[in-house]
Amino acid sequence: MVSRILTLGGHDFTSRPPDRAVSELMLRLATERAGKRPKICILPTASGDTSEQIGRFYTAFGERPCEPSDLSLFRLGRRPMALRDHLLSQDLIYVGGGSMINLLAVWEAHDLSAILSLAWRQGVALAGQSAGAMCWFESGITKSSGRPKIEAGLGLLHGSLCVHYNNEPERRAAYLEAVGNGMPGGYGLDDYAGLLWEGEGPPSALTARRGARAYQVTAGETGVVESPLPARFLPAPAPAALREDIAEFRRIKSMRRGAGWLG
Amino acid sequence: METVPRQIVAFGGGGFSMESGNPLLDEYVLGLCRSERPRVCFLPSASGDADHYVVRFYRAFPAERCEANHISLFRREQGPEDLRAHLLSQDLIYVGGGSVVSLLGVWRAHGIDRILREAWEAGVVLCGLSAGSLCWFEEAVTGFHGPPRRVKGLGLLPFSNCVHYEPTSERRLAYHAMLREGMRPGYAAEDSAGLHFIGRELHRAIASRPAARGYWLDAAADGVVETRLATTYLA
Repeated sequence: MVSRILTLGGHDFTSRPPDRAVSELMLRLATERAGKRPKICILPTASGDTSEQIGRFYTAFGERPCEPSDLSLFRLGRRPMALRDHLLSQDLIYVGGGSMINLLAVWEAHDLSAILSLAWRQGVALAGQSAGAMCWFESGITKSSGRPKIEAGLGLLHGSLCVHYNNEPERRAAYLEAVGNGMPGGYGLDDYAGLLWEGEGPPSALTARRGARAYQVTAGETGVVESPLPARFLPAPAPAALREDIAEFRRIKSMRRGAGWLG
Repeated sequence: METVPRQIVAFGGGGFSMESGNPLLDEYVLGLCRSERPRVCFLPSASGDADHYVVRFYRAFPAERCEANHISLFRREQGPEDLRAHLLSQDLIYVGGGSVVSLLGVWRAHGIDRILREAWEAGVVLCGLSAGSLCWFEEAVTGFHGPPRRVKGLGLLPFSNCVHYEPTSERRLAYHAMLREGMRPGYAAEDSAGLHFIGRELHRAIASRPAARGYWLDAAADGVVETRLATTYLA
């Protein structure tokens, strides 16, 4: 299986159409690797393993044909896990957003950087947004210590990445300045724009929201050049049908409301 | 010139994190501060800066008793920009429990390890429980991530350390094995027991329960010698 990484400028796990489109693409990548019901694991490290980030992930994938799990390094006390075995057995590993500096520091402390590189070489699809996207590149522009600043990533992907590109103008400005000052060029990704890297070739750009774009950013003779990439539009799937038991519960609830005087 | 003592109080467990309604250990560390209304900074890094933990800290350290604040290294945009100036201006730095491996990783990434040494040398009282105890020592036993294993701490105290040192715990056996294998001698504390160091010397062992104890451990020719420390019940 070819090595694959999906890097996103920003998104969330909600039921809004662009978020569903992103979740379905991840499910497809995972299913292609598994050939059956895939395993998808979230690494919420960059957020400090917040319940909110983990909960939203399960909401997105809990009702889909896959086995979702979370590997929460800050919660191992209550729920010990074999880190290496768990990660290498996944079909897709998703990395959530938050502090890029803390993400890489905590991974390094737990030897996760090496395990993730191995998983990638073995064909486990990797994905992530924001800090969880920049971590795969040689460098990114993080706001983990307040102001935008350059931070080195794991370097599985060449060059650099700037996320929330047109959504956070000060981050984009810091990126353009850094590339102008000699940082390796790379890409800028708006929220809901992404790059899919497959094997050694250049990435394909995609977008889940009209107007969200991916840019290639290079230092040229006359300054930094920002070129929008042609992107494939990811259509949102129809909302998942309600599960039969939930639908039944809602029917009964609305009947009761109608007959409230009965107590 | 007056020299301020360097002080660390390392709890085996206890304080507001574990002993709701028993403020004895927390009162003890507040009592070490010279100020009437001390500035107390909570570092919840080992928990991933869990919101519920930060809330419990503020409840346990109310405004009428002290000037409480916290630093979240996962949300730096909300906190003080100059971490060094902020930490050096505190009377007490209180480190919460959780993963000591993650704690030390995050601290190093933000340069907190160096700042805490500086704060200690400047007389800011350092304290904490569990991971917030282990971190101050040269070496420690962590059981957070599965089977107990050895980790290297900040090394302010030139000993090993084991927390939640209950008589039947897996940690206790693991600690003894590590000492036999050459881990440096050190101190252990049961839940509700604390070890108060002045400089690099143990000043006294304290407890918020009458039966809780601290211990000194050293390897000998025929095994490990465990010495129960005279421990002062704080009530």
